Amino acid sequence: MEIAASKGALLLMRLFFALLVLFLYLPIALLALFSFNDGDPTFPLERFTTHWYADVFGNQQLINALIRSTIVATVSSILAVGLGVLASFVLIRRRFFGKPAVSALLFSPLVIPYLVFGVSLLVVFAAVDRFLTDSFGVYIGLGLHAVVVGHVVVSLPYTILTIMPLLERLNVSLDEAAKDLGASPWQTFRRVTLPLLFPALVSAFLIAFTLSFDEFAIASFLAGTEPTWPVFLFASLRVPSQLPQLIAVSSMVFVASLMLVAAAEIGRRLAARRYGSEFTARGMV
Amino acid sequence: MATLEPAVARRRWRRHDRGVTAALLSPPLLWLLLFFIVPVGFIAAYSVGAISIFPTDAGVVSFEDWARFLSGDTIYTGLFWKSVRMSLTVSVVVVILAYPVGYFLALCASKRKYVLLLMIIAPFLTSYLLRVLAWKVILGDSGVVNSLLFSLNLRSSDDPIQWLLYSQFTVMVVLVYVWVPFVALPIFASLDGLDRSLLEAAGDLGAGRLKTFWRVTLPLSLPGVVAAFVFVFVPTIGEFVTPLLVGGTSGYMYGNAIQDAFTRGIDWQFGSVLAMFLLLVVAGLMLLFGRFVQVRSVAA
Repeated sequence: MEIAASKGALLLMRLFFALLVLFLYLPIALLALFSFNDGDPTFPLERFTTHWYADVFGNQQLINALIRSTIVATVSSILAVGLGVLASFVLIRRRFFGKPAVSALLFSPLVIPYLVFGVSLLVVFAAVDRFLTDSFGVYIGLGLHAVVVGHVVVSLPYTILTIMPLLERLNVSLDEAAKDLGASPWQTFRRVTLPLLFPALVSAFLIAFTLSFDEFAIASFLAGTEPTWPVFLFASLRVPSQLPQLIAVSSMVFVASLMLVAAAEIGRRLAARRYGSEFTARGMV
Repeated sequence: MATLEPAVARRRWRRHDRGVTAALLSPPLLWLLLFFIVPVGFIAAYSVGAISIFPTDAGVVSFEDWARFLSGDTIYTGLFWKSVRMSLTVSVVVVILAYPVGYFLALCASKRKYVLLLMIIAPFLTSYLLRVLAWKVILGDSGVVNSLLFSLNLRSSDDPIQWLLYSQFTVMVVLVYVWVPFVALPIFASLDGLDRSLLEAAGDLGAGRLKTFWRVTLPLSLPGVVAAFVFVFVPTIGEFVTPLLVGGTSGYMYGNAIQDAFTRGIDWQFGSVLAMFLLLVVAGLMLLFGRFVQVRSVAA
C-alpha cells in the first residue's frame, strides 16, 4: 500500500499541481504574448510584430537603466561573495565565543522588510551629508554607490547560505595535507580551498546578481537621479503605451538570466568532470 | 618555540588563532555594522528626534511622535491592523496552496520531483514588478478579462467591471501569486527530509492514511510550515509596491504610509516612527518563531 496518499488523493494532488502551474504561468505567458502584439495590451490581438523588441535598442534612457543595474549587480555581488566566503569560512571552520550571536547577525538581513532597510539607509545618507555639508561643505549624495551598499547587505546571507554547504563537505584533511606539504595558510586557501569552492562561488554570485538586478524597494530610495532598471521600469509603468516595450525588455532579461544560469550549471558539470569525482564536493564526504 | 613551556606555547597559539578568526570575521561584520546596524540605530534615534537632518528638525529628544502613533488617534494604527490582517490572510492562503504541492512532490512524485519543484520556483526568478504588472494587464478596465467580456458581448465596453483592479482583494490575490513559488521550497524541504519509515511504522501500527497525516506527517513538517509562514508574512507586512500598482486607495497598506512619509510628505521623523514600529513587530515575531525558521531552507 502506498502510504502517503490513496489513488484518489493522488489524482486530486496531480490536478491541483497542474492548476497551480497554470495559475503561475498564465499571467507571464499573457505578457509574453502581448510583447509580440502590435497595439495596446488588450484583446482582441492585433498583428504580430517584433518592433517592441527592436525599439528597445533605440531607447537610450532604458539602455542606461539596464547598464546601471548591471554595474550595481556586478559590484554588489562580487563584494557579497567576497564577504560571504570569509563569513562562511569562519562559521564552518572556526570555533569562537559568541558564534550563535554572530551567525544571527549575519542572517538577520533575511528578515528585515526591505522598505524599512531602504529608508534607514536613506536617513543615514541624509544625516552624513548634513554633517559633511555643515563641517566641510561637501556631500556624498545618493546614487549607485548607495544602492550597492544596500544590496551587499541583503545579498550577504544568501551568498553565505550558498557557500556554507559546500565548504562543510570539503574535507579538512585536504587542507591539512597541503599544510604538511609546506603550504602557508594563504597558499592552502588560494591553491586548495578556493578552487574546490569555485562552483559554490559561481552560484552565490548568480544568486546575488539576480537579487540585486531585480531589487526595487531599496533602490527606489537610494538611486537618487540614477534609476536602476527596476526603478526605471516602475516609473515608466505610468505610461501605458510603453507597456509592450517594457514587457519586451523584461522577457529578454528573463531569457538572458536563464541562459546565464544554464551556462553556470554546464560550467559546473564540466569542472566536476575535469577534476574527477573524488575532487567534486559530493565525492569528498 | 621548543624552549617555551607547553602551556605558554598553547596560549600563544590560541591568541594567534583568535586573531585569525577576528581578521576573517571583521570585514563582513564591519559591513553589517556600518550599513545595517548603524542605519537601524539612526532611524531609531531620528524617530525620537535625537539627531537632526533638516534645518527644521528641532534637535531635541521628544517622544511626541511615538505617543501620537501609539495613542491610536491617527489613521496609522488602523492601517497597521488592516495590513496585518491582509498579510496574515495572504500568508495562510499561500501556505495552504503550497502545502499540497510540497506534499505531492516530496512524498508522491519520486522520479521527477526536483524538475517539478523547479517548475514551481522558476516564476520567482522573473521580475517581481513584471509579475505584479501582469495582473494589472489582466484585471484593468481595458484588461484581458474585461476586453474578453466586451468581445463576447457579455458586457458593454462603456461599463467594465471596475472592482477587478484597485481593491484590497486584488492586492491579496497578487501577493499570493507572487509568494507561492518562494514558499513551496521550505515546505518541500521539511517534507522531503521526513523519515519515510515513520510513515510505514504508523501504517504498521494500524493508523490509516488520514491519521498518519494528522499524527505524524503534519506535526513533523510544522517547522517548515512556520518558516514558510514567516518568510511570507515579513515581506508582505512591509509591502508597498504591489498596493501602489494594483491597490488603489482601498488597497493602501502600512508600507505605503512609510513610503509616503519619506517621499511625498517630508515628515521623515514620523516615518521613522512607523518604520521602527514595523521593525519591532518583525523582531518580536522572530523572537517568537525564530527557532522554527531554518534559514538554510531558503537556499537550496
